Order: sequence, then C-alpha cells, then structure tokens
Amino acid sequence: MNMMPFATAPEPTLTRTEVSGLIALAARTVPPLWPLESAIAVNPLAGFEGMAFEEAVQAGARLFGARQSLPLAQWRALLAGGRIAEGCLRDAAIRHLGGTYPALAPIAPGITALDLLMARLLTLPATDEVKASPMAPDAAFVAKWCAAFFDHGHAAIPMPHRELGLYRAVLAMAGHDPEFHALTGTLGAQLLMTVPRDPLNAIAEALSALGIAEDGQQPHLAALVARLPGWAGHIRWRSEHADAEHAAGAPAGMADLLALWLLLERAGALTQPRITPQPANVTLHLAAHFGWSRDDVRRALAVAGAPLTRIATMDEEALGLLFMTAAEWTYADGLVPRLQAGTRAKAAEMPASEDAAAAQLVFCIDVRSEPFRRALETTGRYETLGYAGFFGLPIALHPSGAARRKRLLPVLLSPQHDVAEAPRPGHEPDATRLAAADATARHAASLFDTAKQGIATAFATAEATGPLAGLAMAARTLAPRLSARIGAWARPCRHEAFAPALDHASAGHAHPPFTLADKIGYASALFRLTGLPTDTARLVVLVGHGGSAVNNPYAAALDCGACGGHAGGSNARILAAMLNEADVRAGLVAQGIALPETTHFLAAEHNTTTDTVTIFDRTGVPAGHAADLARLEADLARAGAANRERRAGLLDRSPQDLLTGAAHWGEVRPEWGLSGNAGFLVGPRRWSKHIDLEGRAFLHSYDWRADADGSVLATILTAPMVVAQWINCQYLFSTIDNDRYGSGDKVTQNVIGRIGVVQGNGGDLAVGLPRQSLFRDDGSPFHLPQRLLTVVLAPLARVEAVVAANDILARLFGKGWVHLVVIAPETGQARRWRPDGAPQAEGTGLTDITA
Amino acid sequence: MKAHATGELTLHRLKKIEIVIRAEDHHPVEELLKAAGIGGWTIIRDVAGMGHAGFHHGKTIFNDHSGLAMFVGVGEPAAIGDVARGLARLFATLPGVTFLSDVEVLRSDYFARAAGA
Repeated sequence: MNMMPFATAPEPTLTRTEVSGLIALAARTVPPLWPLESAIAVNPLAGFEGMAFEEAVQAGARLFGARQSLPLAQWRALLAGGRIAEGCLRDAAIRHLGGTYPALAPIAPGITALDLLMARLLTLPATDEVKASPMAPDAAFVAKWCAAFFDHGHAAIPMPHRELGLYRAVLAMAGHDPEFHALTGTLGAQLLMTVPRDPLNAIAEALSALGIAEDGQQPHLAALVARLPGWAGHIRWRSEHADAEHAAGAPAGMADLLALWLLLERAGALTQPRITPQPANVTLHLAAHFGWSRDDVRRALAVAGAPLTRIATMDEEALGLLFMTAAEWTYADGLVPRLQAGTRAKAAEMPASEDAAAAQLVFCIDVRSEPFRRALETTGRYETLGYAGFFGLPIALHPSGAARRKRLLPVLLSPQHDVAEAPRPGHEPDATRLAAADATARHAASLFDTAKQGIATAFATAEATGPLAGLAMAARTLAPRLSARIGAWARPCRHEAFAPALDHASAGHAHPPFTLADKIGYASALFRLTGLPTDTARLVVLVGHGGSAVNNPYAAALDCGACGGHAGGSNARILAAMLNEADVRAGLVAQGIALPETTHFLAAEHNTTTDTVTIFDRTGVPAGHAADLARLEADLARAGAANRERRAGLLDRSPQDLLTGAAHWGEVRPEWGLSGNAGFLVGPRRWSKHIDLEGRAFLHSYDWRADADGSVLATILTAPMVVAQWINCQYLFSTIDNDRYGSGDKVTQNVIGRIGVVQGNGGDLAVGLPRQSLFRDDGSPFHLPQRLLTVVLAPLARVEAVVAANDILARLFGKGWVHLVVIAPETGQARRWRPDGAPQAEGTGLTDITA
Repeated sequence: MKAHATGELTLHRLKKIEIVIRAEDHHPVEELLKAAGIGGWTIIRDVAGMGHAGFHHGKTIFNDHSGLAMFVGVGEPAAIGDVARGLARLFATLPGVTFLSDVEVLRSDYFARAAGA
C-alpha cells in the first residue's frame, strides 16, 4: 500500500493547448485499432515510421517490451528448410561487418570476422524464448475500466456515468473499487477528491506534481500510451476514424486515458518498466567453437579486439535482423531477375495474343488473387488485371435494415458518397421477405440476450432453449455444410434481393449520390489506373473478394483491406452498373475512351476461403452474351478447383475439407489469408504472367506509356502500396512477437465489447493477428517475416520524381520500411532504391538486382 | 474585443491564425483548436507550395492523408495565443508553419470562445 504524504495540488505550468499538443504527439506511439467488424491491417509501429526501420524496431521493443525478430532457433529452421538462401545470409553478414574487406579481415589464424559472425548465426547455442510476463496490476486496473467503459452494449449492466467521459466516469467509480484502494491507498482516495475533473487540466497538474522536465513530458506520456497499446489504439480509432454515433453518450479521448495513468502515478501505483538485460559476451563460446586456447583468445583480443568483441556481444535480436535481411534478399533474388528477363524479352510491350481476349477480369490486388488469376489464365483466353479492390469508389453503404453504415473504402479516404441498398427490380417480394426475416432475427437475438442476462430469466432461458441449441450445435459440428445450406434455404439470397442504389442517397446522410460527372470520373479512372485497353472484350468482370468464416472474430481480416475490412462485391456492382450506363459510355467517349457497344460489364466476388466466384446481377446480361457468361463461369469453376487444390496442400488438408472449414464453427484456420505476402508489383500482367508468384505478391496493373506525368504511378504508390505496406507490417510484427504485436492463440481468446479480443478473461485489446493465421500447428512460422519488396516497371527518372514529390514515399523507401526496385522498360536494367545512409550495395545477392 | 465603425458597418478586431500542416497531421491541430475553445475553423485541403523540403504537391486521388492542408481560425487574441502555444509543442516534432495576423470581422459572436475551454 502506498504511504506517500497528502496530495498537494501544484500550479500547472502548461496550458490546455500545450497539453493537447503533447497528447497528440504521444498518441502516435500506437496506431488506431479498428474494431472486429471492420478490422483492417495496421502497422503496430506506424508511429515510428519517421525513423529508420531498424531504429524503429528497437524503439518499439523498448516501449512495448516486444521482441525485435523471430527467435534464432526459428530462423535457423527456416534456413534449414530452404526458405532462406545461405548465400544471402553471408551477404547480409558481410554488409553488417562493413563490407568485404573488414568481413574477411583475420581475427585469428585462418579465422575471419565473417567466420565468427556466421558461427554466431548458424551454430552457437541460442537462448530459450522468453515468455511474455503477466500484466502488471496498474495496467490490469486501467484495462478493466476501459473494457467496462467501451463496451458496445454487450454487458447486462452498463457502466454508470459513461456520459461524463472515460476519465470522469472512472473517477466516480474508483472510490468503490477495492482494487483501486489496494493499488493507491489513502493517497489515491485523497487524489480522487482533489484532482481536476477536466482531463487536460488533470494532466497539466500531474506533470507539475510529478516534476517532469519539459523535454521529458512528451516521452513520459508516450510511455504511458504504450502501456496498453490496444485500448489506446481503440481510443485513436474512436477519435479519428469512427462515425460519431460510435462515441455518442460515452466520450473518450487519449487525454482521458493519460489522466487515469497519471492519477495512478501520482498515487505511487505505477509499476516500473522492465530493464532490458545487456547482451551477453560469448567470446568464450566462440573460442570453444573454433578450438582456441586461452592464448589464442588473448592474441585475438590483442590483434582484433574491437571486431571480436562487437561480434561476441551482438544480441540475438540483431542476429535475427540479419536473417530477415537474408530472407528479403532471397525473395528478391528469386523474383527480380525473372522480371528483368521478362522485360528484356519485350514481353511487356507485346500484345498478349493475336486473338482478342474472351473476357477481361479486373481483380483486387490482394495476394490471394494472383494464383486464382494464374489458374484462370490457363483455362482460356482471359486477360486479368489488378486494381485496388474498392474499385476507386469512396463510398459508405447502408445495408437495408442495418443500424450502421459500412465504409467500403481504404481508411486513407473519407466516404464521399452514401449509397443505400434497394430492392432489385423484379425482386421486391424477396426483398420484403428478407427484410422481415432480418428484423425477426434481430428481435429474437435481442430478446434472447435480454432473457439470458436477466437475473430472473437466465436459468429458465437455458432450460427452454438449451436442448434446441444443443441440437443446432450438433448439426453445425457434424454436418456444417448441410447445416449452412439448410439455414440459407429458407431465406432469399441477399444479393439477388438487394442491390446498391446508384441514384438516391440513404436517408439522414449528407453525402450526395453520384452525379453523371462522378460516374464518368470513376469509370475513366479504371482505365487510367490499370491500363485496361479501350478495345474491351465482350465481357469485362470486376471481381471483388471476401472470405468465409464462422464464429471467427477475425473474419474481417479475411475480407478486402481496400474495402475497409469488408467484402468487395458491392463496390464491384456499383462500378459495373456505372460502366453499363449509356450516358457514362457517352461521357467516356469524350475522354477518348470509346468502348465497343458489345462490351458488358459484370460484377463478381471471389470467395478466398472456398475459391468459388459469385456473379452478381446476371439478369442484366444481354441475351447475346449468355454463351460467353456460361463459358466464363465454367472456367471460373475450373480455376477455383485448381486453386483450392493448391491451397489445400499449403494447409495440409483436402480441398473438400476447405469447403467444410468455411462453414464450421470450430475452424481456427479457414485459410492462410495474406500470410506469405512479400511483393508489390506495379506493371502490366504480361510482365509477370510467366512467373509463379506463389500467392505472395500484390499485383497492380500499370502501363508506364500511358502515364507521362507520373500521376498514376503516384496514386498507386501512395495509396494501394501504402495499404499493402500496412498489411505487410502487420503480418511481419505479428509473427516476430505474437504476444505483443499479434493476438496470441485463438483458443484462449475472448471477444470483448464487440470491439476486439483479449487473452483470457481481461487485459489489453490484442492489436494484431492470431497465432493460427501465421504459424503452423507445429509452431513453425508459415509467414516469413520480411519487408515488402515493391517492383515498378517504369523509367527510373519518373519513379525518382514521384518519390521525391511525395513525403510518404521518401519516408517508406528512404527509411527502409519498403524495398523498392525499379526496372527500366527499355533495357530491363534494375535499380535498387538505397535507403538513407545505407552503404553501397555489396555481395552476390544484391548485385543481381542492382546490375 | 475592440469594435469600430466603417461607414455603415461595425467591425470587430480579432486575431487570425493560419496553419499549414501535413494532411496526415490534421487531427492534432483540430484537437488543439478545440482545447483553446475555438468554436469553428476552415480547412483548405490539397494545398501545394514550396518549402524547406522542396515543392509539396497536393493530395493524391486515393489518399486524403497525403499532401498539405491549411487551417484558418479566428478568435480573441488570448485564444489564438493559446493555439500558438500548443502549436509550438507540435512543431517541435511535426513539420508545419503558422501565421498570425490581425483581422476584422462582422459578427463577433461567431468567434466567441467556447464555454468550458
């Protein structure tokens, strides 16, 4: 118990605006965390992107108590399994030692510095992996009240005083909380009575009371934000990205959270962060490995003491970063020469075939589209393209009967159009029946929740519904696909009954529906940004995507990141409908895009869990295109079967089992999602068509010849590539420290307040992906943690100009968050973007891509 | 607040603050304006210009957070002074520029400090 003297109230030295500025900077320690229903990938170290990657990883490790890399034993296993080339690891080691000359400098007779480092990397014993320590009591206290405050209507008894805001509501309740008394004692009780009720004023007073020096104030607040990155991230999402109704009646900002932390600190209840141990000196282990005597060691220290000590005191995290570099070079060495070869063969500039394409299909850039596209291309004369899966539409959709709108766009954008769902012409009875069924289901669920949580009705509800629920669960367990089919049988198909309405906005929202000029603009962007030729095929299909998962809090993570963590079919339907309008076609002609009258645009959605493709709005297909559509659907089914077979091998299961997993409530790994993501290719499909990219590359179509001013390239790199980088970093960090940056084992997770998951029965919101999304059942990583490699087919000068003109690109490439390789279209020559301050490329692996 | 008549108009002298900042940093500026009690402001998006780091383009079409944005706020000198103090903290880390100037407005009640700030 705290025994500090009576709390005094010093005069604050900071104004409210100064505190506000400090909080805003401190808040950036964590990225916003989206709730489960629209989970999108974020880089957990996004707030550190102004630093070089290696420095940021170290800073994150200090603040969050996280690992900087995979454990050494896992890296060695990946090397032994052939996923990392040993030559690339040697090159990374040479680079780390300062180049070939210092790497080959003798440390002892016949032993070079490189030999020592390679021994450390490959042979010397690795330390055991340290398990995450349990949550400290102060953090558990703050997390408990965050969970109570931010509950989205899940709790039977909501927390009182939420309308006052997080800080004031906890002040009102903490006096009745024995945990608070145990943590803070009488001083805490006194502070509860005296601290300012306004969080900004409370922070100003606390910083004065604690005597935090001016230059230490922002780092002090940042360290407090980092104590609970999940809840802090949720607050950032609520403040900066959520629609106002999410926070209605329960306001909370980062100031509230920090004021609570500082209250605990003033009461002496703050636990100290753990001290990172100094790395051990393994000189004697090296000596034993090389069979040195004591005299040999003395001589080595006398002759080359500095390099020997530097190598002997490297911590295993630093060794792990060398493995990661080697993994990145292994990938680049395998990919870039093949892209160069394709370029030099002029394949990129030649027409794909003498024959016109039977259909063109525009897929999302998602890495899961690539193997499906390749499978489809083998079935017939299909031309496939890649475009951001929201198809350029900044929209929010209001599903019929839903309380909230869905933002179907990247979080980099704000919705410009509110689109309502409306019954499809000719399907009004189905729409009415579906709306009634939805309303009944919502009412029944609400009634059940109320009865289940009621003090008087809980047992009676269990008695009454238990047998039925047991039967339903048995059916869902023993025959999940049959059970799902029966469930769907009684209800009209939603996409058959409803369609997004293009010409009237949803009620109560200010954003206008699409004007004709809007439609023409979005339609023409498809051609400008992908290089889709204007002599279009008879069918052009826009293919969104989404996953299938049951009872899975991370279902949204399987959906389209470009659509804000939702399936992309609605965006595809809207753009396809626009492109079929006669007025839009006429408007496109005025922009030089004259499409054949025979072209019909279709929308579809690729289910990445089952590899089935749903075609939308097929009744609008002209009769003359029926045969084209039938052929396409047959080929989509063949491609789906082939891709399912391929994916089943990666999951060690049968293709049929994948279909079952998509409907099974106990399935923990319905698919691998974007695991393995590593590359972002910007160029025409013909450039990469001959390469098996193994589902590891985002593919954005781009025609450098149609982009003289570089504006299209700037758009691709500053938006889709940024989203890809977030995804890449989320997978990377969730893999290297699944407890801190991921969300741990799914089996022990609990969903909390419909906004996130926690491990066990409380604590911080998890900020990343579950273990099952990244690791095999035997604990070996399926996802190889490595930074994104972006390869652009364009003149070097144009790429340089685009990077120079966009801060975000200069930062991502210059600070080493993304590797950039540019391949010159005329010569096939490749150039690597050298990060700021990095040494000149050296080593065989890198030379290959910087020829 | 001083007021004076110009012909038939009565004008009120206030302070104006203009803040040019990266679009991705707009949220801290908004929070700071609220903390100072500024009741409203104008945001001009897609600002381009020449600065220490070279020419800054406007935003790209798929990213509202790229490029620069400009805030314009008007208020009583004390409130605008508070904003400037907070900005000094922000600009210790973030790039940006700010300009303060005297202005005259027609409707002074539009720029009164918000209650509670």
